[in-house]
Amino acid sequence: MDPTPTDLEWKKGSAELLILSLIEARPRHGYEISKLIEQRSGGTVRFHVASLYPLLYRLEKRGWVQGRWVEKSGQRRRRYYRLTAQGRRVLASQRHGWQVFVEAINRITEVEHA
Amino acid sequence: MPDWKEEITKQLASLKLAPAREAEIVEEVAQHLDDRYRELLAGGATEAEALRTALEEISEEKLLAKGLERVEHQAPQEPVVLGAREKTNILAGLWQDTRFGVRILAKNPGFTVVAAVTLALGIGLNTAIFSMVNALLLRPLPVSHPEQIYTLSASGKGGGNAFSYPDLEDIRKQTTSLFSDMAGVQILSTTGLSMAGKSERMWTDFVTGNFFEMPGIRPALGRFILPSEGHVAGADPVLVLNYSFWQAHLGADRNIVGKKASVNGRPVTIVGVAPEGFRPVSTLIETQGYMPLGMAVVDNQTKSDFLNDRQDKRLVLIARLKPGITQGKIRSVLDVVAKRLAAEYPKADDWKVLKAFPLPATGPTSDPPEGLGVVGALFLTLAAVVLILACVNVANILLARASVRRGEIAMRIALGAKRGRIIGQLLTESLLLALLGCVGGLVVGLVGSRVLSSLSFHMDIPITLDFHFDWRVFGYALALALVSGVIAGIAPAWRATAGDLNEVLHGSGRTTTTGGHGLRKGLVIAQVGGSLMLLIVAGLFVRSLLNIQKSDLGFDPQHVLNIALNPGLAGYSETQSYEFVDSVLERVRALPGIQSASLAATVPLGGNNMAEDIEVEGLASSPQQQTPSAGYNIVSPAYFETMGIRLLHGRGIDETDKQNSVRVAVINQAMAERFWPGKDPIGKRFSSAGDLNHPLEVVGVARNSRTSDLSSPEGPFYYVPFAQQRVLPVTLQVRTFGKPEATGPGVIGLIRSLAPAMPVADAQTMTDALNTPNGLWLFQLGAGLAAAMGILGLILAIIGVYGVLSYMATQRTHEIGIRLALGARPGQILRMIFRQGAGIVVPGAVIGVIAAFALARLLGGVLVGVTSTDPLTYAGVSVLLTLVALAASYIPARRATKVDPIVALRYE
Repeated sequence: MDPTPTDLEWKKGSAELLILSLIEARPRHGYEISKLIEQRSGGTVRFHVASLYPLLYRLEKRGWVQGRWVEKSGQRRRRYYRLTAQGRRVLASQRHGWQVFVEAINRITEVEHA
Repeated sequence: MPDWKEEITKQLASLKLAPAREAEIVEEVAQHLDDRYRELLAGGATEAEALRTALEEISEEKLLAKGLERVEHQAPQEPVVLGAREKTNILAGLWQDTRFGVRILAKNPGFTVVAAVTLALGIGLNTAIFSMVNALLLRPLPVSHPEQIYTLSASGKGGGNAFSYPDLEDIRKQTTSLFSDMAGVQILSTTGLSMAGKSERMWTDFVTGNFFEMPGIRPALGRFILPSEGHVAGADPVLVLNYSFWQAHLGADRNIVGKKASVNGRPVTIVGVAPEGFRPVSTLIETQGYMPLGMAVVDNQTKSDFLNDRQDKRLVLIARLKPGITQGKIRSVLDVVAKRLAAEYPKADDWKVLKAFPLPATGPTSDPPEGLGVVGALFLTLAAVVLILACVNVANILLARASVRRGEIAMRIALGAKRGRIIGQLLTESLLLALLGCVGGLVVGLVGSRVLSSLSFHMDIPITLDFHFDWRVFGYALALALVSGVIAGIAPAWRATAGDLNEVLHGSGRTTTTGGHGLRKGLVIAQVGGSLMLLIVAGLFVRSLLNIQKSDLGFDPQHVLNIALNPGLAGYSETQSYEFVDSVLERVRALPGIQSASLAATVPLGGNNMAEDIEVEGLASSPQQQTPSAGYNIVSPAYFETMGIRLLHGRGIDETDKQNSVRVAVINQAMAERFWPGKDPIGKRFSSAGDLNHPLEVVGVARNSRTSDLSSPEGPFYYVPFAQQRVLPVTLQVRTFGKPEATGPGVIGLIRSLAPAMPVADAQTMTDALNTPNGLWLFQLGAGLAAAMGILGLILAIIGVYGVLSYMATQRTHEIGIRLALGARPGQILRMIFRQGAGIVVPGAVIGVIAAFALARLLGGVLVGVTSTDPLTYAGVSVLLTLVALAASYIPARRATKVDPIVALRYE
């Protein structure tokens, strides 16, 4: 499925929220994050490697997430991202903003029963 | 699995990222692609399809490069905590470094504890020794403006630092341009204090009335002695007590002021208590009571006109210098005074020079002290060497860690951290370690100084070694900690941040550490050298002590008890006193277990020596030659039996030597050889300069024996009968059949039953009495300290050698594995590691021997029976150290031979 321009715009606005939500409960590595986005959206939303990592690094630079190399026995080391305290606050406010937005859209786009 | 790295690197090429950052991104993204590739295969794609899809995703519209461009090439932001400006940035950096350092240390508790304990031992040792030097040399007297307190001494006939009361009065009146005030003290007389039926011995200073004006302090209770008191013999019967004596012996009775007591049988009134820690004349001497000078007549040996007798020199002078007086002015004024008094009183005060110098905190002396400073500096130097050895150990551990952390450090530098900043960070870590070591060191130091100050002088005077920690000691410990933190940290920090970081980031861990080898090896070589130097010095001290202990004293100290008898303390008159000591002697001889008993005025090496100028009949003294002098002792019959001094010729002092019979003397070998060489001295006569009317006839010759100290050559010495020269106090000496300690209580009990009012100190064995500063004490202290430092240094060196060899062996695991795989025998591997050990130990030993050679030359004067280049000590200690160090390399060597080639090769 090739991304359409609308698709890209849409992703850009919500991508940060998606990532922050996914690592809220526990740290995850990049591939895991991309898999979860794909799975939970039923394949509707997808992040390919080329867009995922710049995004992760940007979040890290802002201090919302923190990446850390973790070595597990018998595996190569992987970089796990966890939510920082600041990231947690951002997530809360974005989540709230998103809900307000979605409700507003819903109210507008609902079929009017005259 | 395809190699993605090339493709990713190509994508990132345009960004020109820092190598470390690029490597990190490549690793992470490559992993992602691995996972994606596997997923695609699992989903049924062929390898070619999976590869194509993954490559498409990574190069999708150059999204990766574009996205990263924005993220990575923003201006780098150094985190700022306290502010944005340069200055505050440094503070913020320091704070960050400290927090980071604490985290790093907390994460490696094993390392932290080992390093901190190592430093604590080094700092503790230094602190303990410094506390001693501080107490003996640096800490001023506890008085106001201690730098103004001066003491005086004269040289020439009638010189020394003891003056008569008329001297004091004259000097004071003629030096008012120099000194605002001048007091006299008769230091430390034994007196007997009786109060409410209890008797105590009390060490008393007799002082002029203005004495208490000078320290500028207030009494704890009541009043001090007044300036109007002390000018008349026997007048002003008042007593001021020392604080600790008041606490320990008089129950800290707050109503003590005004109470009556008696001193040597004379009634006195207690008028005050001095404040705690009052030691105005010496920080070492704990005087127990103070009385006006005129009251010195409580001692039945003091004549009632002593205040007018210019020849009765008993006072130490203490003066307060006026502000702004130069040394030149002091000299010129005192020169005039000395000449004037010498002209006026040629018999009593024939002085050549009269000098004034700051009163040493350790107490009045005839000359400003010098020797103590050298010894103090020597021990501080040795202690500093131990600390440096400890620092080297910590530096070695840090170096090993630095190579482990090179990856981290390279990464941080690659991310833009400045090298100085990283060095600062690493130094902060080592300084934190050193501060931990400082805290531990203070604990070690406290224990050490307790041990040092508890060393008994075995002398019958109230010396207190107060090595408490003041700001100087704390400051010294802190300064040591900071210096050792930098010493231990600087080389590892430098090394860790040097070299090609790219190589570190890309290469395998094994190739990166070789650079540190040379430095670590060099440090351990220096360490072996330093520790060998310490051990050699310790060896020389211990050999001196052994030589002295084995040396022939000329008398037999085993099975001898000393008990001081001073009936004057109970108020006995002179006649009563002599009757008393005679009867004590008679009854003690009758006690069971006593082989013999006798009286003597002085005890060998007791620091209380008597000497006289003598005139030998028939020996014309030329005017150029100095008047000959000889040491002497006053002894009762059976003295030579009791002390085990062999008579070579003639007889000893015996019962036939009565008060009115012919005056006789027993002389020692040295005196016989000096004055009557090659002749029989029996029947020859000589007289002492103090008593020319009563010549002494030689009746016997005794073996030379040690009297004043252990190291100087034995000079002329003679013994005269107690019956013919009465003296008090005397020491009762008893030779026992069994253990002298077992007989002591019986003898003391007998004396107490004869004179309940007389305070009797405990009996001391003659072997204990040898441990005075004149006897073995100094050697024991020196040997003990040097040995402690040598052993500490050895332990540190062993840890160092072991650590470095273990590390080197681990580094060579791979090589050893290959060697073993190619057929090398374990013996060969063992030899290889041993050779590496020898490469450290042998150069270290050479350096150590050279260093010890240089240092030991300073010791020449303190050593006994051993030269500072004693080959036995040098060879013995070097062999010992070499063996121990090679033993320390055995464990790593042994472990290296156990390497499994398969495992070792898998390391790659």
